[in-house]
Amino acid sequence: MTYKTELGRTWWLKNSAFKAYMLREATVLPLVFFILCMLAGIYSLTRGEASWNSWVAVMGNPLVLALNALALVASLYHAATFFVLFPRVMPIRLGGKKVPDNLIVAGQWAGVAGVFVLAAWIFWGVL
Amino acid sequence: MKTMEVRIQRYLPEQHSEPVVESYQVPFDDSTSVLDALNSIKEEQDSSLSYRWSCRMAICGSCGFMINGEPKLGCKVFLRDYAAAGTLLIEPLAHFPVERDLIVDLEQFMQHLDAIQPYIIKEQANGVSEMTPHKQTPAQMDKYQQFSDCINCGLCYAACPQFGLNPEFIGPGALALAHRYNLDSRDEGRAERMPLIGSEEGAWSCTFVGYCSEVCPQSVDPAAAVNQAKVLSAQDMVLQLFRRKK
Ligand code: SF4
Ligand code: FES
Repeated sequence: MTYKTELGRTWWLKNSAFKAYMLREATVLPLVFFILCMLAGIYSLTRGEASWNSWVAVMGNPLVLALNALALVASLYHAATFFVLFPRVMPIRLGGKKVPDNLIVAGQWAGVAGVFVLAAWIFWGVL
Repeated sequence: MKTMEVRIQRYLPEQHSEPVVESYQVPFDDSTSVLDALNSIKEEQDSSLSYRWSCRMAICGSCGFMINGEPKLGCKVFLRDYAAAGTLLIEPLAHFPVERDLIVDLEQFMQHLDAIQPYIIKEQANGVSEMTPHKQTPAQMDKYQQFSDCINCGLCYAACPQFGLNPEFIGPGALALAHRYNLDSRDEGRAERMPLIGSEEGAWSCTFVGYCSEVCPQSVDPAAAVNQAKVLSAQDMVLQLFRRKK
């Protein structure tokens, strides 16, 4: 007779590695909110100026701003975890030599910085 | 000599309907490993205690336990590391059925290992009669070597919640070994292995929790292997789509 314990719903609370994993997966929740906001914005754009203006007003609501700020932080956290995993899943070889992991991680962050600069240029016209 | 409380999850099927935790006082110094502690308990205090071990040097892979909730090799961790925590709880490897005390039934793991055909497959057997060596350059070897260091200890399975939820999942260790052979320039068996690797019970069951790679005593990085296998499997799927279109 062997004895087998089944995993309960709270299995992930037993270990800090599992908690970090669940936190990574949970970053999708504020992102869903952000995407819904975006979709609502596009929809309101098709419905004319009054509708667009009220969407802009809703986006200025402190609670909405806070949730979207959370979405930004969550997506940066998810990116940080993903960037570290990337060179392990897609090891890049140049001239038979493996490109060091830190270099690939740094490259990805440089890409993020690039996107931020581009967004700042488009939306605020700085630079 | 200092002593420390060591608690062990016991399960004697003829006595217990479910596991119980028993406590022992164990003398230790800086060189006492958890395996040494188990040996001392068995010799000095309770000869009925059962556990697996062999090499005492982290190479045979038989002494895997949950130590304070983390999968570890008993011979590779020392009581001194837990002196600060003040207590040590030793349980059998998680996610496997317990046969007796710290001994788990590894049958599922063995079946998964067997299923991925962990050996070099040649379309045509050659070189045996003529004794032709299968040559390989250091660069070719470098591609798979990391994944060939596995000692089949099963720690990664005890670390994998997906295996805990579904024991049919081939799991980190076996998938890493499959990937090791798929990357070997001498092997021609990739097409034979891919259907299983690309199946639902294969690499795609993995959600990259990543804890398997943290606990691996050999730095095999099974999570990387599993996710590289996902890339291979996705490539195969796309190629098949194109082939069908032609
Ligand atoms: S991959 Fe690492 S943790 Fe898993 S069985 Fe092999 S040596 Fe053990
Ligand atoms: S006894 Fe061999 S790995 Fe620990």
